[in-house]
Amino acid sequence: MSHRIATPAPVVVDPRAGDVTAPTPEPRRRDYAGIGLWIALVLTTLLWALPFAIMFLTSVKSNADISATDPWALPTSWAWSNYAEAFEVGKLGTTGLNSLVISLIKVPLGLFFAAAAAYAIARLRFRFHRLLLAVIAVGSMVPIQIALGPLFNTMLELGALDSLPGLMLPYLAFGIPYAVFVLYGFFRAIPDELEESARIDGASTFRIFIQIILPLAKPALAALFILDFVGTWNEYAMATTLLRSQDNWTVPLAVQSFSTQHGTDYGPLNAFIIMSAVPVLIVYLMFQRYFVQGALAGAVKG
Amino acid sequence: MAVVPGLVEQAPGARPRRRTRRRSPFLTALPYLVPSLLIYGYFIVYPMLDSVRLSFYRWSGFRTEEPEFVGLDNYVRLFTQDPVFWKSFGNSVIWVVLSLAIPMLLGLLLALALNRQMVGRSLMRSVIYIPSVFASITVAAMWRWIYNPTLGMVNQLLEAVGLGAWTQTWLGDPKIALYSVFAASVWQAVGFPMVLFLAGLQSVAQELVDAAKVDGANAWQVFRNVTLPALRPTTVVVVILTIINSLKVFDLIVGMTGGGPAQSTQVLALWSYTQSFTNHSFGAGGAVATVLLLLSLCLVIPYMAWSMKGDGK
Repeated sequence: MSHRIATPAPVVVDPRAGDVTAPTPEPRRRDYAGIGLWIALVLTTLLWALPFAIMFLTSVKSNADISATDPWALPTSWAWSNYAEAFEVGKLGTTGLNSLVISLIKVPLGLFFAAAAAYAIARLRFRFHRLLLAVIAVGSMVPIQIALGPLFNTMLELGALDSLPGLMLPYLAFGIPYAVFVLYGFFRAIPDELEESARIDGASTFRIFIQIILPLAKPALAALFILDFVGTWNEYAMATTLLRSQDNWTVPLAVQSFSTQHGTDYGPLNAFIIMSAVPVLIVYLMFQRYFVQGALAGAVKG
Repeated sequence: MAVVPGLVEQAPGARPRRRTRRRSPFLTALPYLVPSLLIYGYFIVYPMLDSVRLSFYRWSGFRTEEPEFVGLDNYVRLFTQDPVFWKSFGNSVIWVVLSLAIPMLLGLLLALALNRQMVGRSLMRSVIYIPSVFASITVAAMWRWIYNPTLGMVNQLLEAVGLGAWTQTWLGDPKIALYSVFAASVWQAVGFPMVLFLAGLQSVAQELVDAAKVDGANAWQVFRNVTLPALRPTTVVVVILTIINSLKVFDLIVGMTGGGPAQSTQVLALWSYTQSFTNHSFGAGGAVATVLLLLSLCLVIPYMAWSMKGDGK
């Protein structure tokens, strides 16, 4: 990894295995240290997986079963109905749809704005462009809680409290800095010749941006899309500050509410937690590569 | 290389000059910048600065009353009459130190171990990384159940192995609640440094490692003299991000303890929020937020300078 963090590095780690580390030329004897290490790793992995296993087992038990059996024991009867009940009680249909609508509108729009800004900063070479980048990047790292009080007042004045479109505005704002920072690095690396030859052919700046620069940034855009989607789906602090009525809640608010209101319905609670996390898990399993790339390209978690 | 304006247009066969080429670069850039800067400025920068402004006022946050200017009064109170502030400040420091010690080192060890060829390597990486993909509020709900005093996994496990005397009210005891919450954060956070270190390890030149081995260096010497120096830039990134993320901890604490019991898990970010929204004192909340902002900037600005250096054109 070069010390210029914002360079669009090629895929460095591919968690789906297959990245090649040169095998050490070991003589033909048992590598006891290696075996010991492997066993230690397997145990660590099992420890990390244990909470998931316990959560699943709890989610299919009745309350009576939970009191009677050990957390790691199989249920005496599989209470799949917990899932339906949790879905109903926690209003996962409504809140899930809210989260989905917010993510699907906010993420592409924010990426487009961020790409435009990153293009301007990286390639249009106006004065102070690096200062501007620094100001934006700093904003992506400062704790968002600092802004919450005044943000509440701002949204109140705009009459945008407790509405999904109203929540999207600060959501756009918190996703943009990180995306600008990553895309800036990407756009810097595109050779000037491409742009120059397009200019000679008479292409406008806007056309160059849309037809040359954006398509080249596809891998970075894809990685950012996934990361921003997950970040938006998981966001809690701003949502809890700006949303009031249950009909407008996003999934994290529903999880927290379920956990405080129905904290003793252990089966449905765990079923709800699992259901709330499934979309993120699916996204992760489908796009593992992007998580790693995105984390590396910016190394500035927004 | 920079484009010299005016050179390109002289090329034979070029179209007539476009008007846009004569404008200053900034005017060309402006329309691209406006949407992002407007949104970012209005919904992040302005509220943050407004927190600083509010810290000099006394205000309940209700529309019906006007904020009253009180100078440094909020800060005086914060530093002299607010024991919770010092508690939350101390907890934030503890959190930073622990995060640097445990998840970061564990992440490094896991990265070193999982960098070798072995059976099931990618599955192990995934299992350890996945918790960091989940919402912190979800992780908090999970761990509240794990820590449940009677039915939770931790106490049940202790009972099962005959250590019943060790069972605790993990989240209900002011002496240990902070560390219980921290344990959940280790489970969630360790994947991030691991992935960054794994990436850093790809930059360790294999020839150097092989050469060192040929020269008779043992595993520790190779690590000490080849691997570790190559990991230095990665380590800087991980250290800074770990500290920043520690200052941002909020959801996990809200979800697990809400700052209790007896403010024992209170941290700066949450105390600022609580002062503003629960205690209706936007001035005091703003003062805590300002302290947090200054702390963050002390870290972020040097880091940005470091990461953007060598990028000039």
